[in-house]
Amino acid sequence: MLRGAKAASAVVGLLMVSAACTAGVDTPASSGTPKELRLAIGGESEDGYDPTLGWGRYGSPLFQSTLLTRDADLKIVNDLATRHSVSADGLVWTVDLRTDAKFSDGQPLTAKDVAYTFTTASKSGGLTDVTALSKAVATDNDTVELHLSRPQSTFVNRLVSLGIVPEHAHGKDYARKPIGSGPFTLVQWDEGQQLIVQRNEAYYGTKPAFERVVFTFTGEDATLAAAKAGQASMAAVPSNLAKTTIDGMRLVPVKSVDNRGVMFPYVADTGRQTKDGQAIGNNVTSDKAIRQAINYAVDRDALVDGVLEGFGSPATGPVDGLPWYEPASAIKSGDAAKAKQLLTDAGWVDKNGVRERNGVKAAFNLLYPADDTLRQGLALSVADMVKPLGIQIKAQGVSWDVIDKRLHSDAVLFGWGSQDPTEMYNLYSSTQAGVEYWNPGYYANAAVQKDLDAAMSATDQEQATTYWKAAQTGFSATGDAAWAWLVNLEHTYFVSDCLDIGKPQIEPHGHGWPVTAGITQWKWTC
Amino acid sequence: MDVLTSETPEAPAPGDGRGHRGGSLGGALLSRLVRLVLLLFAVAVASFALMLGSPVDPIDAYVGADIAAIGPEQRAQIAERWGLDDPPVERFTSWLSQVVRGDLGQSHTFNQPVADVIAGKFLTSLALMSVAWCLSGVIGFGLGLLAGIRRGQLTDRVITWWAYTLASAPTFWVGLLLLYAFSVALQWTPVCCAVPVGQVASEVGLLDRLHHLLLPAVTLSLVGIAPVVLHTRQAVAVAMASDYVAFARAQGERTTGLVVHRVLRNAAGPALLLQFSSLGELFGGSLLAEQVFSYPGLGAATTAAALGQDVPLLLGIALFTTLFVYTGNQLGDLLHSWLDPRTRRLGAAR
Repeated sequence: MLRGAKAASAVVGLLMVSAACTAGVDTPASSGTPKELRLAIGGESEDGYDPTLGWGRYGSPLFQSTLLTRDADLKIVNDLATRHSVSADGLVWTVDLRTDAKFSDGQPLTAKDVAYTFTTASKSGGLTDVTALSKAVATDNDTVELHLSRPQSTFVNRLVSLGIVPEHAHGKDYARKPIGSGPFTLVQWDEGQQLIVQRNEAYYGTKPAFERVVFTFTGEDATLAAAKAGQASMAAVPSNLAKTTIDGMRLVPVKSVDNRGVMFPYVADTGRQTKDGQAIGNNVTSDKAIRQAINYAVDRDALVDGVLEGFGSPATGPVDGLPWYEPASAIKSGDAAKAKQLLTDAGWVDKNGVRERNGVKAAFNLLYPADDTLRQGLALSVADMVKPLGIQIKAQGVSWDVIDKRLHSDAVLFGWGSQDPTEMYNLYSSTQAGVEYWNPGYYANAAVQKDLDAAMSATDQEQATTYWKAAQTGFSATGDAAWAWLVNLEHTYFVSDCLDIGKPQIEPHGHGWPVTAGITQWKWTC
Repeated sequence: MDVLTSETPEAPAPGDGRGHRGGSLGGALLSRLVRLVLLLFAVAVASFALMLGSPVDPIDAYVGADIAAIGPEQRAQIAERWGLDDPPVERFTSWLSQVVRGDLGQSHTFNQPVADVIAGKFLTSLALMSVAWCLSGVIGFGLGLLAGIRRGQLTDRVITWWAYTLASAPTFWVGLLLLYAFSVALQWTPVCCAVPVGQVASEVGLLDRLHHLLLPAVTLSLVGIAPVVLHTRQAVAVAMASDYVAFARAQGERTTGLVVHRVLRNAAGPALLLQFSSLGELFGGSLLAEQVFSYPGLGAATTAAALGQDVPLLLGIALFTTLFVYTGNQLGDLLHSWLDPRTRRLGAAR
């Protein structure tokens, strides 16, 4: 029944789109900034707007403000904090607060509220992981000390993403009636339909240009229809719908680290098993020559054009374009000659189109979730691209259930992407081997591990960045080639010609809400 | 009861009758209640077992794209908050004891008590369903009556053909056609939602709500009309062909009188029974209509609960739906027996 409904809504969307084309666009009659901005970018937070449960971890928490924030280049800048420092052992973070911040109920925001927010978030069992925190102490009215149980340079991301809630007003119904010190206040939330927010006149920062912003939560097709009918100033659309044109709107493709890549089982199959009895290792992908050859042979530009219809970029690693990305880790894509050379040098001999070594055929499975057409396209293309090399990849569309059981012994087409380098740590650290979806291939390299650990325990972000970069040269295609990263997606938005959204940040995995990160800077230009 | 009959021996028959009827009614009510409780229990056990067998991991579903940022410790916290660590039997019994005390638990997806979620969403659905239900009842009965009276004539053939077409048309498809015609091509009705976009609740008038309700309600009612039409037509046709109608006609009563005095009551029974027992289909149909029109009722909540493995909410909705449909069926039964005493005697004989 649900499937029918989905199909139905898709058909509705198409019908509406075709009709909306003829309907034309309403342009605002008078010039000047309109009172209200309508956005159809999805991202409804069904469990409400409580940062201690995870609200605001993407983009802007709207109603609350954070200690630090990231600018368009993802550089960390102060928000509520005026200064922050980390102790030499990396265990105590001291944050000085500005004194002019007020909650929307008029109460001042103090260090006690910050301590309360972090303490609550560390115990709440929500979507923001603050488990590294051991305690948070307000040492005076505008200074707070965050004590960690282990050094964690990436903890800075909690300072960036965790909106501060008022201790005096954080009760059971807070998630539906948020009070904060952010640029907007909540007017009304019609669950499943729309969120109406209003400019917070008492906000200490740059006040938004729009008095009111309405977020509508329609499905993808209805969203496009609304844009075509002139009922939205911004609409997030899937890239397969981005080729249409809408009068009065332009297409804005936003770069992202929302990436796709092939994870290889890194160790050989020696009969080892996980605690749950799942096989570990693969005798083909455990060979570095195979992994490197695939990395070289894959034509990533062709994948971007063919599978992503141009809305994306070739991927060289898991953190392309982020401040801690190492450009030297990139390789030349689509180099079949080099790939063949690597295989021949490693002793893989061609026998009837498939290479062999010591009786082992250069053949393995590549799993992808069957309902994801994008990953299907990538998996099948990669299999085609490496076939001339003499490597046989069998792309298999399966359920996540099956992937969960086979991810340690079969290659899998995964997607990641985060503005937090913790993800890079988790993907390549041997300490995370077999934990959740992290490092499913049991990758382990002592030198890389040393760099990752140094980056994690660094007390200075610059220093951490140096180590993050060093680690990439170790695990990327030029090194161990633990993964074959394929593409970075672009997120596509239709934006009114009158709306200037500035320079958007590189977005993480997931679509929609992250684009609001710079919402206070948006301007109306007509 | 005994005291009453012994003190008024002069009128034993009515007293007896009343006493007897009251007793059986009470008994019937009790047995119906017992049946309801058993049914609810069975539904709860079955739904819970189905949820356990589902391959969806509730924490993975909740975490979604954040999987990179959520560590094992945090997952443990989430599992603890939701009580997922306990063995299934313990989870079920603790849920059951909660329900017996009148607490349906907390919905993971909406971070709200299940009762609040259902109450909130159901009110939206209720408006939709009740309008659709009344429309389909009234229109269906009217058309069925007309077709039955004009049996075999053109009117009858058109109405029957229309009813068959509707009976075989899926709700979402009907909804699509209406949406295309009225919202997109003619632009008479809104494309989505239960309220105008951007409007604060206090500014939303009754007319706005009706405007947004209209198309989904018509869609839903169209689908419910067909069975009522066909059954009413049949009942009317049987009554019209009966001896007592022939006798009345022979005495000079005209068609209007015949219908009003002899046929209406006979035809209303099946129609009402059908109308009340169609609540289940109405519910199912409303889920689809809500999807098509982005109408945020219980349908959307059910989808969210299923995809997110929100056990308390899904069980709550299952119980609520069962109660709703069961009550509808029982009401239909009662009304039918009130309209047609013959079914009452049959029931007592059983």
